[in-house]
Amino acid sequence: MIRYLLRRIPAALLVLFVASVAVFFLLRLAPGDPAATLAGPDASNETVEAIRQQLGLDRPLVIQYLLWLGGILTGNPGESYLLHSPISELISNSLLNTLELASGALILAVVGGGIVGYIMGSSRTSWISSALGLLTSLAVAVPTYVSGVLFILIFAVVNRLLPSGGIGPGLADPAIGLQYLLMPAIVLSLPTGATLARFLSASIRQTIDEDFVQTGIAKGLRRSRLMRAHVIPNALPPVITVLGIQIGQLLGGAIIVETIFAWPGIGQLLLQSVIGRDYLLTQGLLMLAVVVFVMVQIVTDVVDAAMDPRIRLERK
Amino acid sequence: MTAQGAIPTLAIRSRGRGRGLFRGLRSVESVIGLIIVAVIFALGLLAPIIAPYSPYAQGSGSFLPPSPDHWFGTDEFGRDLFSRVLYGIRQDVIVGAVAVPIGAILGMLLGLASTLAWWLDTVIQRGFDVSLAFTSLVMGVTVAAIIGPGLPAVLITVAFVNIPLFGRLTRNALRSQQARDYVTAGRVVGVPPIRLLLRHVLPNSIDALVVQAALSLSLAVFIEGAMSFVGIGVKLPEPSLGSLLRTSINFLAQAPTYAIPPMLVVTALVLAFNLVGDGLNKGLLKR
Repeated sequence: MIRYLLRRIPAALLVLFVASVAVFFLLRLAPGDPAATLAGPDASNETVEAIRQQLGLDRPLVIQYLLWLGGILTGNPGESYLLHSPISELISNSLLNTLELASGALILAVVGGGIVGYIMGSSRTSWISSALGLLTSLAVAVPTYVSGVLFILIFAVVNRLLPSGGIGPGLADPAIGLQYLLMPAIVLSLPTGATLARFLSASIRQTIDEDFVQTGIAKGLRRSRLMRAHVIPNALPPVITVLGIQIGQLLGGAIIVETIFAWPGIGQLLLQSVIGRDYLLTQGLLMLAVVVFVMVQIVTDVVDAAMDPRIRLERK
Repeated sequence: MTAQGAIPTLAIRSRGRGRGLFRGLRSVESVIGLIIVAVIFALGLLAPIIAPYSPYAQGSGSFLPPSPDHWFGTDEFGRDLFSRVLYGIRQDVIVGAVAVPIGAILGMLLGLASTLAWWLDTVIQRGFDVSLAFTSLVMGVTVAAIIGPGLPAVLITVAFVNIPLFGRLTRNALRSQQARDYVTAGRVVGVPPIRLLLRHVLPNSIDALVVQAALSLSLAVFIEGAMSFVGIGVKLPEPSLGSLLRTSINFLAQAPTYAIPPMLVVTALVLAFNLVGDGLNKGLLKR
């Protein structure tokens, strides 16, 4: 297992290195002079030049890149000139909020998607499965920015049940914090949960058709035992791979959901940095996204390998 | 038996293909989907004729409720929302008509290229892997960070997102066709590889690409909406479905009907293109 993990590390490092080069140099292609933007429209040439020197923008690009990379590796990706505070601080503040939202949504998606998928895949009443099939395909297709606004209209404007946005006291007062979390987490979990449900139900149906399950039915195993001991364990592995991909989708969806519900997370910070042309902050956040993406990939692969010895022992 | 024999076979096969495409359109889903798409896009294209007001003209009152004068009411500047929604649809027509074909063609070229040499295949597939792993919105944010927010950023993002989708599909379709007997037969009788590819293999792989095109249009509408919604797509005051929806959430308490038309149109477009895709899929691929 550890050997399998070790084999993955060089490739992961290579991806991270290539991504850091791409993120840094592509953003420097951007039109506009950050120093001039920062100085404001009325600034004199000397002021702009002074700011340029202060930010190190007058040095060769390669030197700038190496300094930036060194900063990231030592945990100091620089200072945001839009928000005037250290980027590491900004990121850690909003990362917690995004993690709260994303983990809430992930729990809802896994539990809800699991239950719906199980019912859809194992139900022998055809109208239940087709109704759930229709609902889940709607939940996959309807964009989160539509379902989010719909939720606000129904649960915050027409019925004043839940706050329409903001993060509230967060984890400091869980009872109230949960009220703020509930709507964004549900909206974010909808496409992910529905995708999981659809894959799970397809996988269960496929497994039920397998010979060993048919044998179980033929020798008179009780249905509950058949499902628990034979169908589910064999139906789960492909769904877990899908879950790994869906976590990436969830983080992309978080950008939209944070915008709808004014949730002060990483997505909001990223948009702010892009619109405000705070390229250092954008670079830091995009690198963070790449790191998360690589980690999710590795974890998914490791879980796959743990479940399937064929992958674990494969040698190239 | 060579030249003369080939002509009728070709004719039969091409007629068969036409029938296949029509069969895709005969399913109920794809017809309903196509009608919805056609109506909405026609409304967008005819906006200069149909729209009762200019989308930028500021009228007498803001947040007027829906009325015979203003079917969808008015926005925060008293602009007619019906007109703004109609003009907003045009952004999706542009994105669908420009960015999706560009992405599809680039993807198909890369897919073709990856069947030429094994090392090309490895490099291109790795590239596809990486770009497929990034969600479309993260891609959109990156593009907007590089070239700045705006419609061009949306177009580039949509094209870019489509490259690996079409690329992988083309490559896999070509791969599976190349193992077929008729390709071997063609190679044996000495049909030049390029001609074999373009004339025989590609036409037989087209069905999957047609299905993907419908799904890609759905994705294009989604991405335009998402990017404009989060503020890195079409710039205000120019209307788009996403930016209308974004603005509406600031005023949901005063004007709850503001949000509903853009929500319905975006959802209808996304679902309708999905329906077309599903219908074509049933008709064309699952024979």
